[in-house]
Amino acid sequence: MKTRKAYYSSVLLIIGILILINILSTDFFVRLDLTENNRYTLSKATEDIVENLTEPVTVKAYFSENLPPNVAQTRQDFKDLLVEYANLSDGNLVYEFINPNEDPQLEQEAGQAGISPVMINVREKDQVKQQKAFLGAVIEMGTQKDVIPFMQPGEAMEYALTTSIKKLSVVDKPTVGLIQGHGEPTVQDMAQAAQALTVLYNFENVTLTDSTEIPAKYKALALVAPKDTIPPMHLAKLDAYLAKGGKLLVALNKVEGDLQNATGNLVNVGIDDWLSGKGVIVENKFLTDANCAAVTVRQQQGNFSFQSRVQFPYLPILTNFSDHPITKGLEQVILPFASPLTFSGDTTVNYTPLAYSSNKSGTSTAPTYFNIQQKWTEEDFPLGEQTVAAAIEGNLAGNTMSKMVVIGDGDFAINNKGGGQPQPVQEDNVSLFVNGIDWLSDDTGLIDLRTKGVSSRPIDQLEDGMKATLKWVNFGAPIVLAILYGLFRSQRRRLQRIKRMEVSYE
Amino acid sequence: MRSIWIIAKRELQSFFDSLIAYIMLILFLGFSGFFTWIYGADVFLVGQASLQSFFDIAFWTLFFFIPAITMRMLAEEKKTGTIELLLTKAVTDREVVIGKFLACFLLVAIAIAFTLPYYITLANIGNVDYGAVWCGYLGLLLMSAAYVSIGLFTSSITNNQIVAFLLALFIGLFFHIIFNVLASNLTGFMGQLFHTLSLSVHFESLSRGVIDTKDVVYFLTIVALGIILAESNLAKRNLSN
Repeated sequence: MKTRKAYYSSVLLIIGILILINILSTDFFVRLDLTENNRYTLSKATEDIVENLTEPVTVKAYFSENLPPNVAQTRQDFKDLLVEYANLSDGNLVYEFINPNEDPQLEQEAGQAGISPVMINVREKDQVKQQKAFLGAVIEMGTQKDVIPFMQPGEAMEYALTTSIKKLSVVDKPTVGLIQGHGEPTVQDMAQAAQALTVLYNFENVTLTDSTEIPAKYKALALVAPKDTIPPMHLAKLDAYLAKGGKLLVALNKVEGDLQNATGNLVNVGIDDWLSGKGVIVENKFLTDANCAAVTVRQQQGNFSFQSRVQFPYLPILTNFSDHPITKGLEQVILPFASPLTFSGDTTVNYTPLAYSSNKSGTSTAPTYFNIQQKWTEEDFPLGEQTVAAAIEGNLAGNTMSKMVVIGDGDFAINNKGGGQPQPVQEDNVSLFVNGIDWLSDDTGLIDLRTKGVSSRPIDQLEDGMKATLKWVNFGAPIVLAILYGLFRSQRRRLQRIKRMEVSYE
Repeated sequence: MRSIWIIAKRELQSFFDSLIAYIMLILFLGFSGFFTWIYGADVFLVGQASLQSFFDIAFWTLFFFIPAITMRMLAEEKKTGTIELLLTKAVTDREVVIGKFLACFLLVAIAIAFTLPYYITLANIGNVDYGAVWCGYLGLLLMSAAYVSIGLFTSSITNNQIVAFLLALFIGLFFHIIFNVLASNLTGFMGQLFHTLSLSVHFESLSRGVIDTKDVVYFLTIVALGIILAESNLAKRNLSN
């Protein structure tokens, strides 16, 4: 018989070993990222950028210490991330952690660098007090600096850090022009897209004139939502630009919807013939899709007015993309008042559809009047998938290879649509626009990274009957199965018992 | 090894021959199914092809159901004296505890396996992130294993089932939420300690879709601790001073 002492000391020893293993595991751990797009692993883009650093980069991380663990986790995550970057960079990336709360001078330094503190509730000595927390970083390369004022925990960190490094390490940024002069939005009106583009490019307004040629410095041009007629002279200038190997992104509003007056009209800017010469027709129709966004409607009933959300098929939600660098990783793009595209070219042009509407789509001719109260049925969506964005490659003008991206809607990436406050647009909408420019300029480096954090996984459009069936089958089937198994088992036991009670003559 | 398996099989069979297994299955599946598909933040309301709503609800239902399964495992045997019969057979204390652990764990695993139709349905109507779903299931299994071993431990220290149930819930509550709450407004070493001890933190980390050895080691440690402590409680009777 063992003695009590010997037994308990062996139990304590095992417990001690277990605790030790746990302590060790915080420092030596392996991570296996099973998410579909490897959301928590460094992307190829980051690897390329960090491996190819030529100059030393210094990351000064201004992080407060002594924070509650859920916030402190951000610091730890950022540190883990920096360790991986430093390993990849072959010694070109060094980092240091600074605690600005220690010293008012450091705090001032952080503030001047553009890192703004956030207030966090901390419990200390039985009192809840507010503490200033710094969660930012300054990235330096040579004399240049870039600031991440506030670090979002999670996958957004990698995007912020890599784009900062990329921003600093790009020498001679190529220029991308946003065509002006026909009622188009300016760079400022597309704040979200401009912000994403300035990492790699100088994104600036360019006004087309009758006399001067488009300078060759523009690596790509974007023609977004023109409202006024484009004179043929300007189109000729675009042709000349394409003939020199220029690249062009066209996001065209062929129809426009006015929700205030509930009317939808045709927009004619005189570009149709020119575009169809390149091989693409943007149709004079509204695309309607059963998979759509909702609008808020104010309804009056007697003395009561109330607001309700109504599904509005003129705002298609696209989830169906082809496998192409531009649409890589995109999950959900909303194109308000879009028009379908058709191909009109021949074999000399390589036409690649990029995005489609759902398989329950329809069209409605313009001009039209929107009936918000309309009860949409199956019959309203007789058409299958409709192309709404496409890439074309080939000798588009002259004998030089050139590339264009055409999107059947102009407003999708514009923040300031004229009048009122700028509205934020979907992340993926911006990504579609920026990826398009990236592909045209042959720089697909950041596409991987841009769409990494997006994680919307919408379920398919289902009819109500189907939905109800799925609901009850999923709710009921497992329970019924369990009950059936129970009945089967008790029946079998009963038979066994009866058999045992029978007289046996063997 | 063989005797562990025989004990586990016997126990599992006795679950399915009594009403316990069916009540547990129907309640668990009823709760999970109701809140995943019909009411609350259900799949169609959220509109996302993800099983997050199921994992959230299972996180709580399992927390309550597991002590109800484990409460009688050792307590009842001790009360009725059958534990003596069992232990005089050619099996060690450890084999008894591990066998009973396996039986409870398998019952919970079977209950979780009954929700696979949810996954199949979702995979057919949307683009599911497979890695995240499988990691979520793995997280549920590891969490169940941890609570089963806590339940076995509490069942081993008393011969009253109700006490065992309440104790298991009480201990579980610390791992489930209290450590997390403490961690969120403490700083420094204590904060970090509670953060590491909190089971929900590790569960969330797993259900993102990333298998981290840290989290796996944490769950396995709780399992091992529960089993060792339960075993040492059984072993007490054989110890001399």
